[in-house]
Amino acid sequence: MKKRLAVLLCVVMMLTLVVGCGGNSSNNEDVIKLGYLGAKTGSVANYGIPAEKGMKLAIEELNENGGVLGKELVGIYEDNKGENSDVAIIVDKYISRDKVAALVGDPCTGLTKVAADLAQKNEIVIFSPGATGDGVVEIGDYVFRNTLLDIFAVPAVVEWMIEEKGWGNMAVITTLDIGYSTDLTPVFKKAIDEKGAKIVFEDTINSGETDFTAQVTKLKNAKADVLVFTGYYTEAALFMNEVKKQNLDIVLVGGDGLYGQDLAKLGQNAVEERVIFYCGFSSDQPSPETAEFLEKYRAKFNEDPDMFSAQYYDAVMILAKAMEDAGSADPKVFRNELAKLKDYPGVSGNTTFREDREPIKSPVCLITIKDGEFTLLEQIDVK
Amino acid sequence: MFWEQLLNGLTLGSTYALIALGYTMVYGIIQLINFAHGEIYMFGAFVGLVLVTVFGLNIIVALVGAMIFCMFLGMLIERIAYRPLRGKSSRLSALISAIGVSIFLSTLMVLIRGPNTTRYPEIIKITTYNIGSISISSLQIIILALATLLMVGLQVMIKKTRVGMAMRACSQDLEASYLMGINVNRVISFTFAVGSALAAAGGVMVGVYYNAVWPYMGLMAGLKAFAAAVLGGIGSIPGAMVGGLTLGVLEIFGVAYLSSSYKDAIAFAILILVLIIRPQGIFGQKKIKKV
Repeated sequence: MKKRLAVLLCVVMMLTLVVGCGGNSSNNEDVIKLGYLGAKTGSVANYGIPAEKGMKLAIEELNENGGVLGKELVGIYEDNKGENSDVAIIVDKYISRDKVAALVGDPCTGLTKVAADLAQKNEIVIFSPGATGDGVVEIGDYVFRNTLLDIFAVPAVVEWMIEEKGWGNMAVITTLDIGYSTDLTPVFKKAIDEKGAKIVFEDTINSGETDFTAQVTKLKNAKADVLVFTGYYTEAALFMNEVKKQNLDIVLVGGDGLYGQDLAKLGQNAVEERVIFYCGFSSDQPSPETAEFLEKYRAKFNEDPDMFSAQYYDAVMILAKAMEDAGSADPKVFRNELAKLKDYPGVSGNTTFREDREPIKSPVCLITIKDGEFTLLEQIDVK
Repeated sequence: MFWEQLLNGLTLGSTYALIALGYTMVYGIIQLINFAHGEIYMFGAFVGLVLVTVFGLNIIVALVGAMIFCMFLGMLIERIAYRPLRGKSSRLSALISAIGVSIFLSTLMVLIRGPNTTRYPEIIKITTYNIGSISISSLQIIILALATLLMVGLQVMIKKTRVGMAMRACSQDLEASYLMGINVNRVISFTFAVGSALAAAGGVMVGVYYNAVWPYMGLMAGLKAFAAAVLGGIGSIPGAMVGGLTLGVLEIFGVAYLSSSYKDAIAFAILILVLIIRPQGIFGQKKIKKV
């Protein structure tokens, strides 16, 4: 009896699957679909959750104004959990079953590359509003991204450090087991070299360490004006705690890997106005476009947007613009318009695609911590 | 710089030594490498944190509180995870049980507190003293003094008290001690309690010293302390102290004069070297097996 019931249940389950598929496969051409890539659960969900909100806001806004090419824009939001295998499955589903016009995502470089390989093979546009690492647009001519790249931001930041602050002698600390850090250090070193500053001290740490006494004692004897720290926020906060304990007076400068609330929580008065990092977005001192976006975002989600929500919002808007300009939602056609993007005034700053499709974004925001909050220190232009 | 780095090394080493003592004491009596010991140290750090931040207790009270909590935790682990296996199954099953407890405790803490690093409040006002070109912080002095006090206390307890004598007897021969009327189970429980209390003290000190605790902090610290215990000669109490201090100093000097990249490698390279050159460790006694 039990066995029969089980068989019956299995059949029912399979039937629902078939029916479910049937419902989805009836593709109508009245809508344009965009596939979201991002994690809503897992270790990188901090990036994916605000990203989804930014994307939803953009799509809602476009549809209120008549959609794109007179058609309704539809977003599909699967959760890739930040896992390579899930990304591959989801991209496959987006392309073969949902027949999306473009993929928006992923915030992470590694996952974007996995998705981009598939998108390129199927000639579907993929637009990553977050991947900052190397080797993304090189995958093919359907691959785009819109985010502040370290290779453009760092020279501007280094110049600011030398010209505005007069920090000529720099110390550089790399987190050895973090790819982000080992990639960013050479970019900084090259810029420091080119701008005529000196590296007086170089050292490494490992993530997950708490004992930085030896490094800080060495640093104290190195007589550096500023500390360039290419790692993530947790180690930066703990490092600055030790700096404070040893009564060393130095400012730490780093990339957007320091953009985590834990920096202020763990560092407290050791990081207060002693840490500066660059990133592509700040909700302080907004441009008119950003101000409007902030207002709408806050009204809808009752919270402040971050860099990822702004860049996902821009990604959808840029894709929509390219489709309108091309008069087609066919990726083969509108990708040509997309590649021509120049001085697009987005909510996350101005974007121009270089010939090789690398985005040049301006301005760079320098953020510091004041009263435990991330505060915009200055905006500098990228040339 | 040399003296400052030496001081940094001794401070780090004294925390290793406190954890290493627990390993070595338990090993000395039941020949078990208690891999859950690092997690007891982690629990000690968190209990101290909760006592300070939630209950607003003074740091010394919190330190004692954490030590008492971990005493019971250590005894509980021994009762649940090791005693039922003792005598009945091979030593290997107890080792695997220890690894299981270790994983259980760290994931339990992730469940309670989340995986992220938590800040330890600045409880002690730090003043820096300058002696010539060397600067010493009051925190380093306190940690060194406290660690020394605990280690001397332990040594006195083992040499001068009845329970210390029972422990020494058990470490020589468990069965003979049992036949002589020593309540072996109680001595083992007591050993776990003392070792765990010392680890908890180490945890609270590390929390205060580095201002940070997180659920996986026990893993690396445990392995390093284990290396320190082997370096000193596992089973030997002075060995664990010397081993811990040596390891801490060597690690800091490695970072200071060689490269930070090899910090963890140094600990384990030393472990391997010792095992090759002097398998019984600095203070260990060569055991001659009689048939």
